Amino acid sequence: MIKTLNAVLLVVCGLAFTGVYALKFAIQHEATQISRLESHISDQEAELSMLKADWAVLTQPGHIEPVVIRHQETLQLAEVEPEQFGRFTDLPMRPAKPDAHAMDALFQALEVGVDPIGALLEEID
Amino acid sequence: MALATAGGPQIAIDGTRKVRGSLTQGRIRWMLLAIVLGFVVVGGRLVQLGMVETDTRIEGQARDVIQATRPPILDRNGAEMAVDIRVPSLYAEPRRIIDVDQAAESLLTVMPDLDPKWLRDRLTGDEGFVWIKRELTPAIEQRVMRLGIPGIDFITESKRFYPAGREASHVLGSVNVDNQGIAGIEMHMDRENVALLQELGLARGNALAPVSLSIDMRVQHVLHEQLVDAMERYQAIAAAGVILDIHTGEVLGMASLPDFDPNEPATALEKGSFNRITSGIFELGSTFKTVTLAGALDSSRVAITDQFDARYGVRFGRYTIDDFHGKHRILSLPEVYKYSSNIGTIRIMQQWGKDNFRAFLTELGFDKRVPFELPEMRDPVVPKEFSEVGAATASFGHGLSVSPLHMATAVSAFTNGGNYITPTLYHRSSEEAQSLYRPVISEQTSDAVRYLMRLNALEGSGSRMDDIAEGYRAGGKTGTAEKVVDGRYSSSKVLNIFASVFPLDNPRYAMVMMVDEPQRENPQSGTTAGWNAGEMTGRVIKRIAPMLGVAPDFSTAVDTNLVPPQLR
Repeated sequence: MIKTLNAVLLVVCGLAFTGVYALKFAIQHEATQISRLESHISDQEAELSMLKADWAVLTQPGHIEPVVIRHQETLQLAEVEPEQFGRFTDLPMRPAKPDAHAMDALFQALEVGVDPIGALLEEID
Repeated sequence: MALATAGGPQIAIDGTRKVRGSLTQGRIRWMLLAIVLGFVVVGGRLVQLGMVETDTRIEGQARDVIQATRPPILDRNGAEMAVDIRVPSLYAEPRRIIDVDQAAESLLTVMPDLDPKWLRDRLTGDEGFVWIKRELTPAIEQRVMRLGIPGIDFITESKRFYPAGREASHVLGSVNVDNQGIAGIEMHMDRENVALLQELGLARGNALAPVSLSIDMRVQHVLHEQLVDAMERYQAIAAAGVILDIHTGEVLGMASLPDFDPNEPATALEKGSFNRITSGIFELGSTFKTVTLAGALDSSRVAITDQFDARYGVRFGRYTIDDFHGKHRILSLPEVYKYSSNIGTIRIMQQWGKDNFRAFLTELGFDKRVPFELPEMRDPVVPKEFSEVGAATASFGHGLSVSPLHMATAVSAFTNGGNYITPTLYHRSSEEAQSLYRPVISEQTSDAVRYLMRLNALEGSGSRMDDIAEGYRAGGKTGTAEKVVDGRYSSSKVLNIFASVFPLDNPRYAMVMMVDEPQRENPQSGTTAGWNAGEMTGRVIKRIAPMLGVAPDFSTAVDTNLVPPQLR
């Protein structure tokens, strides 16, 4: 009786040892992975901070202005003049009623094949 | 058996069972003792391990402090003005270095700028930690790692980076290598709360909530660029400017040249690169007439319809104070302002009373520093009491020195309806500002000052500014202050100031611009403030008004509406 109990206990002991060691190694493995991930995160954060700083430099008015000046001629850029600003009040008022007569004339012209607006646009070109 | 009991000593003989039993008990006792001893040893070791304090400090500083972060600083639109970047720093553990000479030699191949003797001394010894070089680039980190020297390693540090470089240097200030603010708003933030957060361990690598300033980087850029342009155009020794929101006191832009690069804090120590707006005090010359007239008009003693005798200079003993461009006739109050008449201003001040004048300066806060966030401030110099002649010169801005920021806050108060509001570099809503308002002049006087400022732009010394910033209804007062050289006022060395507000029909922004010792731009131009500080103000307004949502308006009705009813 006691001999079998001892044998069983021995076996249980052995199993427990193996289990504990397996757990230990698994945890060690996890820990290495965690630290690897952490250092990866910190690397990426460092890189991100650099990229953010880069972005801040590139969007700085002081950085954009020289670029604008360099391409001023090709892109025909110029400083805005006060005269170029308009106001809503400067716009003509909407006509009280749509001009049905003119619309009819326009549609008839289009049906015949004459495009007065197209002609206007061509003139501008 | 009787024989045995009667004679001889008794002999007790234990049975074999009993002998074995006591032996076992003895063994058990010894075993128990051994086990207890074993546990004591284990327990003792545990306690010992618990007592050990691992030294994670780096040259007397906690490792955390070195990696401490600072909150990013944003402008009012969310653009970054200061950010933290993570950079590698090289350190050595001398007690783990095997061959000092070899280690030093291989390090020098990567970083030839290190001093070989210093490096060898640094690596020799028994210390656990010494810095070799801080804040390096990732490229250098890679090359050093490839050398594979034992006892040499990197630690990631936070470094402050200012993307705008010099543009907002005086606002931002700078930090030292340990990430502590040493100037500007960085220093102010440390005094306020960042230092506390770092101490509590809350500022460790985690992102802190960003700090938003009232600065608009677009406005700041234009201001800085125009100041650089002015330095070159007028061959000036210094130039400075500040732009305030007159209703909330928020500073939208502030720059002073010569400046420094906050990314290289050592440049901040260069002579002459102090912030002229806050820590420079100057005799602000004729711009002070705005102050005198505003105060006088607010009293019941001077009315805008009054006339003043400017036919002859004002005599004080041996001295006579005269006008620069003298009209030498009777002038109305608006004419005194428009022609910048010293005589007229003295007469106005005298009619108002010199003690009232002095009390008004106190009310405007000209006796002490402007309450402001930047640590770089200087006390103004204003006499405690005015003599007759002292009051006379002070009325047109001589004999007392205040900072340009004083003038900017005064002009803001004069045009926003008469309420004094302290300037700030942080966000402030109009409700918050209104709770801080302190009335200094009445609303009617404020309207009159707006009229006077616009009048000076239309017909007076501000016309050069108005030609450039046409349509934006700007107005202001010039000031050409002669500098004191060897105890005398010099006419060749002047400090030019222009204090202005725009748009005057619905005033929103106040500016004070300053050019120090300007030269003529070309032989046809002059050296008075209208030619340099004035024109520069015009150029700034023309650029920033569209950014700030001020639409141009060319109708003359705007200007006629500004004229006070008594003068129509």
